[in-house]
Amino acid sequence: MDEAQLIKGIQQGDRKSFHILVETYQRMVVNTCLGIVHNKADAEDLAQDVFLEIFRTAENFRGDAKLSTWLYRIATNRSLNLIRNNKRKRFFQSIEETFIGGRNRTSEISENRADQPDQNITDQQRSDMLHRAMDRLPEKQRIAFTLNKYEELPYQQIAEVMEISLASVESLIHRAKKNLQEQLLDCYKKKCV
Amino acid sequence: MKTKCIHNDLIFYLDNELSVEKKIAVEKHLEECADCRGFLAFLKEGIQIIDREKKPEVSPFFYTRLSARLDEKSETQAQSQWVRLAQPAFFSFVLLAGIYGGLKLGSNASSPKINQQVTSSVQMLNDFAAEPIESFLLDGL
Repeated sequence: MDEAQLIKGIQQGDRKSFHILVETYQRMVVNTCLGIVHNKADAEDLAQDVFLEIFRTAENFRGDAKLSTWLYRIATNRSLNLIRNNKRKRFFQSIEETFIGGRNRTSEISENRADQPDQNITDQQRSDMLHRAMDRLPEKQRIAFTLNKYEELPYQQIAEVMEISLASVESLIHRAKKNLQEQLLDCYKKKCV
Repeated sequence: MKTKCIHNDLIFYLDNELSVEKKIAVEKHLEECADCRGFLAFLKEGIQIIDREKKPEVSPFFYTRLSARLDEKSETQAQSQWVRLAQPAFFSFVLLAGIYGGLKLGSNASSPKINQQVTSSVQMLNDFAAEPIESFLLDGL
């Protein structure tokens, strides 16, 4: 079944076509979301939201772009929305903790890691460090970098997903790498891992 | 003399994005500079995390959960559609009944028959005319 038939089936509410679509693209969507939110459970929940949106709004798909481009676009937008919501929640939580007092998160993390072997702790710390560095990137740089590194998309397709020019994608990825390198260098100098 | 550190080029060196001349210069520098070699190794380990993380195994129940959410959504949608139709119909009926009741009461209140009845009942209540207070007080003596 090709893309057009698949979309036509979903537009008519055909569950079988929808199942095929999910089976074909679920890994791609979860991977894209994971590259942005860095949490597998959140990434799977987001991927489900993406597919639900596809099923609900399939009639709006005109077929100008590839189906994967549409999926990438929804996945990146939803992931960014989740990050923005989490940031807002954390902001209000920090206010609440300042005025009311809350649990010490540092001790919570160290409790969780207490039973892990040393090697895993280093891997986890390294992974946390990279995620923190990626999270500090501006949104557009983060999207371009994630699509390029996690999904190995060519610059042309990233330009289509982000609806920007090829030159802008090149510039975004170049700046993302520079920023990431700066942050990792800072971490290397401070020996944070 | 030690050459200037080339930290800024290392991520592009790892991604093989440097020109041939620059790549040779970086490799030459790396042979001499332990600090840059250390940072290159650190950077490499950091970037390799992406390779380990990407393409995760998706939960085998992904579609089952999705399908359940879809059913739930269509059920609530159907329910909300029914509520969306029934609610205004019910409120319109209550409103119309209220207006009709109000009109009915209003028309009854303005009819002369009712006015008469009200007046007579008021007259019946006014029994001072029939039994003045003086005679009532005198009865007690």
